[in-house]
Amino acid sequence: MSPLRKSPVDVVDGTGPDEPGRDELLPVLLAGLVDGDPERRRRAVLALSDEPAALPHLIDRVGSESDPAVREALCAHLARLDDPAVVDGLAGLLASDDAGLRIAAAGVLQQNRTATEARVPGWLADADRDVRILTVMVLAGLRSPHVERWLTDLVEHDPDPNVTASAIDELAALVGSSCHAVVLSARARFPDDPFIDFVVTRAMAAPDREPR
Amino acid sequence: MTVRAATPALRDADFVLLRDYVYRRTGIMFTDNKRYFVDKRVHAMMAAFGAADFASYFSALRLGDESLVQQLVNELTVNETYFLREDYQFDGLIRSVLPRVMADRAVTGRTEGPVRILSLPSSTGEEPYSIAIRLLEEWPLIDRVDVSIVAGDIDTRVLAAAMAGVYGARSLQRMPQALLRRYFEPAGHDSYRIVDDLRDAVDFRKINICDIANMQAYREFDVVFCRNLLIYFDEVSCRTAAENIFGALRPGGFVFLGHSESMSRISPIFTPQRFPEGIAYQRPIPGARR
Repeated sequence: MSPLRKSPVDVVDGTGPDEPGRDELLPVLLAGLVDGDPERRRRAVLALSDEPAALPHLIDRVGSESDPAVREALCAHLARLDDPAVVDGLAGLLASDDAGLRIAAAGVLQQNRTATEARVPGWLADADRDVRILTVMVLAGLRSPHVERWLTDLVEHDPDPNVTASAIDELAALVGSSCHAVVLSARARFPDDPFIDFVVTRAMAAPDREPR
Repeated sequence: MTVRAATPALRDADFVLLRDYVYRRTGIMFTDNKRYFVDKRVHAMMAAFGAADFASYFSALRLGDESLVQQLVNELTVNETYFLREDYQFDGLIRSVLPRVMADRAVTGRTEGPVRILSLPSSTGEEPYSIAIRLLEEWPLIDRVDVSIVAGDIDTRVLAAAMAGVYGARSLQRMPQALLRRYFEPAGHDSYRIVDDLRDAVDFRKINICDIANMQAYREFDVVFCRNLLIYFDEVSCRTAAENIFGALRPGGFVFLGHSESMSRISPIFTPQRFPEGIAYQRPIPGARR
């Protein structure tokens, strides 16, 4: 049975006697965030994940990191924090041309639930309809008791048909047939808009399902 | 007739305190439908500790009594398993994944060192020992290539049982008689002890898959088995575990999940690979087309 053997597991210890102290280590690890080797960048992210002073640097890296595994390491860490700085730092990425980055940023905001909840009313009141549409994208996966109310307000009151249509889709997915009266009010607000008519018809015809 | 006293329920606020504490320590999230499971075990722990109430028990936990914390973790983890469970994945290991691993070794010139396999969670050892048995029985290269199996669990009690290697009929229900005779010896009372050679071939360690610092020590594995664990985690813990598995694998290495689990729903960083025996998820090789 010798072919199976117990071999020593490589244990990586970064705190040996000749290792730099914590203060000296921080600049080294921050430099690792922009190393040419993606694996070194990924390990730098992990090493910095318990270092509060590194947070602004980690937030900054999300938008410029090109390697999917390093980006995921950044986002997985930031998703755990529920920190307003994370939400403020990543909200701008929702408008990125990179669909993967948009989805990653939305995922982090959705996990930073409390911090995101605090920002949602401001985003929903933004004059830029794109901001409101992107907010609906975040609401789609935000586990907050306020989501239904926010989406309902958009369907009933938002002046823009594209924002309203996005909100109809998400509201129907969230609460099923109980939103029919609200959804019909959007058709009344935009009687000549064929896209709203299409979205309302689709929402009314969708099979009812378990609330998510 | 014997009437058992009902387990007194924790107060809602106490349940939330304990649930959040366990979550921070282990990544395991107990939802409300697990209340009975948690209540029953916590009350047993409180009685064993001699706590008059939940507050005194929880204070002891929070004040850093690590033995108490470990006992709680041991009680709240689920360790039900048996030999050769979901063995189509062992078929996949031998027929599909290991040939890919060996081909990669040939291409990269990494001909030295063992093939490294990590089993998480090991529970009481049935999975890593099953892997070892299947390799010894069926992998054509086993006489020429060393294999190193590391097995880890957060529960120290099951690790001790795994290292003792004594199993009853339930664990061995799927073990063919021929293999039972070859790799086990009677240990009395319908139980069998795994032979010393096999027992010594698996390196058992306490490992917390959600602990980034702990998991950073484990690298360059060719294959990770992480089956039926992520179903106990919430989304954030799943992502952390996936991140740590990624780090434990060498580029090109594979992870097997349980049949109801999908890495594609957890993390975008692995490449699903469909084999005749099922799906494994591969850590991409830099520069290779996905």
